[in-house]
Amino acid sequence: MKQKITVALAGNPNAGKTTIFNALTGARQHVGNWPGVTVEKKEGTVTHSGRKIHVVDLPGTYSLTAYSLEEIIARNFIVDSAPDLVVNVVDAANLERNLYLSVQLLEMGCKLVIALNMIDVARGRGIGIDEAYLSSLLGVPVILTNGKKGIGLDSLLETIVFEVENNQSSDNFRRFTYGAEVEDELEKIQNLLRHVNYSLEGPAFRWLAVKLLEGDSEIVKKIDSGDDRKTIREQVEKSRSHLKNIFGDNPEIVLADARYGLISGAIKQTVQIERTDRVNLSESIDQFLTNRLLGPIILFAVLYAVYFFTFRGSESLVQYSESFFAWLGANVSETLPDGLLRSLVVNGVIAGVGGVLGFTPLIAFMFFAIAILEDTGYMARIAFMLDRVLRGFGLHGASMLALMVSGGIAGGCAVPGIMATRTMKEPKERLVTILVAPLMNCGAKLPVYALLIGAFFSGDRVSIMFLLTLISWAMALLAARVIRSTVLSGPSAPFVLELPPYRVPTLQGLLIHTWERTWMYVKKAGTVILAVSVLFWALMTFPGLPPEIQQSFQKKLEKLNSEFIKDVGASSVIQTPQALENFEKFTKEHKSDNAKDLTKALAAFSKSGYKSDNDSNQRYSLMENPEINTDVAGKFLVLRAKRLEVENKEQEERLRNSFAGRVGSFLELVFLPIGFDWRTNVALLGGFAAKEVVVSTLGTAYSLGSVNPEKSWNLSEKLRNEPGWNPLMAFTLIIFVMLYAPCFVTLVVIRRETGLWRWTIFAMVYTTLLAYAMAFLVKTTGSFLGIGLV
Amino acid sequence: MMSPTVSRKKCFDCSALEDNKCLAEKTVKLSNYKPGQKGQIVQVCGDSDFRLRMLEMGFVKGTEIKVVKYAPLNDPMEFEIRGYHISLRKKQAAHILMREPEIAV
Repeated sequence: MKQKITVALAGNPNAGKTTIFNALTGARQHVGNWPGVTVEKKEGTVTHSGRKIHVVDLPGTYSLTAYSLEEIIARNFIVDSAPDLVVNVVDAANLERNLYLSVQLLEMGCKLVIALNMIDVARGRGIGIDEAYLSSLLGVPVILTNGKKGIGLDSLLETIVFEVENNQSSDNFRRFTYGAEVEDELEKIQNLLRHVNYSLEGPAFRWLAVKLLEGDSEIVKKIDSGDDRKTIREQVEKSRSHLKNIFGDNPEIVLADARYGLISGAIKQTVQIERTDRVNLSESIDQFLTNRLLGPIILFAVLYAVYFFTFRGSESLVQYSESFFAWLGANVSETLPDGLLRSLVVNGVIAGVGGVLGFTPLIAFMFFAIAILEDTGYMARIAFMLDRVLRGFGLHGASMLALMVSGGIAGGCAVPGIMATRTMKEPKERLVTILVAPLMNCGAKLPVYALLIGAFFSGDRVSIMFLLTLISWAMALLAARVIRSTVLSGPSAPFVLELPPYRVPTLQGLLIHTWERTWMYVKKAGTVILAVSVLFWALMTFPGLPPEIQQSFQKKLEKLNSEFIKDVGASSVIQTPQALENFEKFTKEHKSDNAKDLTKALAAFSKSGYKSDNDSNQRYSLMENPEINTDVAGKFLVLRAKRLEVENKEQEERLRNSFAGRVGSFLELVFLPIGFDWRTNVALLGGFAAKEVVVSTLGTAYSLGSVNPEKSWNLSEKLRNEPGWNPLMAFTLIIFVMLYAPCFVTLVVIRRETGLWRWTIFAMVYTTLLAYAMAFLVKTTGSFLGIGLV
Repeated sequence: MMSPTVSRKKCFDCSALEDNKCLAEKTVKLSNYKPGQKGQIVQVCGDSDFRLRMLEMGFVKGTEIKVVKYAPLNDPMEFEIRGYHISLRKKQAAHILMREPEIAV
């Protein structure tokens, strides 16, 4: 007897499978991906009567053909991993369609237990089910369950253990026969398979034969790779055309038809439907929610609410985490000596980790909002209402949500936006949505816009922002259209969308959903982002300045210092470089930044032990004179400003000389047609780390030091007066920043969600080419028409 | 070859049917049903993948479908079949041939 039991949960989408899974395993679950694909794989454990039960939640499917990735995954798991038992969660209110999957599971020869779920909903609709009779018809145990209320779980577990321990008859598949003509052909194929020495059990042979007869592409491929494939293939062809002659239709259609025939028979014997006059609550709700007029209004209100909840709701948490990392950075700065190590830890590691964790509350909030939309059933209505609009661009109704979160309303973020596409089942539509989501105006691009709008378009901020929103939507839709008719051409997936009844989600379900997906983001994205952020730090730092230039900056600073000492030495205690250094330390400790505070600090400093070594007491009395103190403080402020200027100039030179700066200078050639100089280029390179970095890097490049993206007015001022800058140039840069390569956090997420580097690189390249083309268009049109040159 | 020879002219443009199995009765495309109308499926047409998918979702000959509503922009459509709700685009619904509609209660 095996100690551990493996159970697979199978069932239709919306049958309550996940609720049962959560109720069974609680928090003892683990989420990963099925190997090689981005479909979520959930596993968990539960212990019952001393047996450890390992539960694998298969993707929700309507069938087990090779129609979708989910179906292939579910099928392969049952065939290859051979779970001890399959629990088929069946929606009692929707018995007929749900039983279609059950019949297929029986056909596969699975040991099966049916969890007849949501029986209360069915009863509410006047559907009475004789579950005992259903059980005897199907030959498998049928347990009534309610995942939400936790009803029937114990007896489900009881049955699982019992069925595994006491060999269930595996003859159930024999209960379903397809009539003499089909059975004859199945027999022929089976005999052949047996002949060819496939080491399989009885039911598996039959299932294989059924699938071959159905022309199932995956199974045919498997046979194709085996020996004796020719004889088998010939027999299959013969059988298929024979049946086609008899029934006038493809065998797969005939078999599906027959299965529904069997189900209809079973339903007639076990289900009684009373006509009730009770209004269907779900339909009443839909009278409003998908109403021709109200529907779209409510839809946009809901989308806005998701957006608002994601970004506003997480705001304070994001700020906490940001200020925590700022505090950590400041503390580490003080402990570590000035130099490379400090720079690496503070600007590389802490900034990188902080960047990842800063996103986390945002992502958690977004997933929570999406979990609500999914679990209530509203998500399907979004797709239903918007399909007509988005289909024309090769997208899907569900793409809307991802685009909105990415910045459809300016200020979103492509990272949660791309992760929101997990709700989409159509591979091509999902991929296109992922690829165009970074074109939206995310929150990190806004500081760049604010800087440039502030500098050149301060008159019409609102209309420019609105224009930018329109441009980004137009670009995203256009790009989607082009991608779908070139690299990702081909017909769109058939739009077969179930509109499940509205349900009240459980808090446990919502939290589990949110936690799982958020944790996956932190785990997978975190490590890569840390590595890349260190790399970026290195690019912007090394190789540093040549020693002689560094010395010349050092000399300039020393010169400023000695001039200051010469000036004030006669009237203050600051008479030596050592004293000046001590005084600076003192002002830093007391956080004295303005003239008034400095004056006070100077007096206090003079009284304290910070006096210079060779001071004499007559000078000490001078210190008491407030006027002199004010004068010295004022001069000290001037000194600070002058030194900052030199230091900023040094930073500019350092940046220019860094690898990134050199690339930026080289790119001047490439960007000649749109007129970006090395400063803009290096800022754009920095923006690859995170878009708001464009502002701070521009600041450094214009020797203003590192500019806070939130308070960039001094940089605005600088740019306005800089030769070469004009409104046209600013608008060109805005368009470029809007469209060019996504930041690397986004790229990492694209890699994760598409599973391929190919698409990641494609996303980077096509966006940059688009940005270049559009910027060029803006620049040349503007120059030609003479707009915005002054 | 796998695909059956098709005579599009004789039948109601239903590539699923063989020459000799022409539809006898008069049919209406599901996409022409109006909200509130219901009727029975005569035949699901279209390519094999689509037909199989629809079959799996319960669109079997003789099954009753009710049109619940059109989406706000008239497309896709919402149906009730076998007690659940499903949405299809009009282009797809046009592949489903139906009996003459009656008004649903």
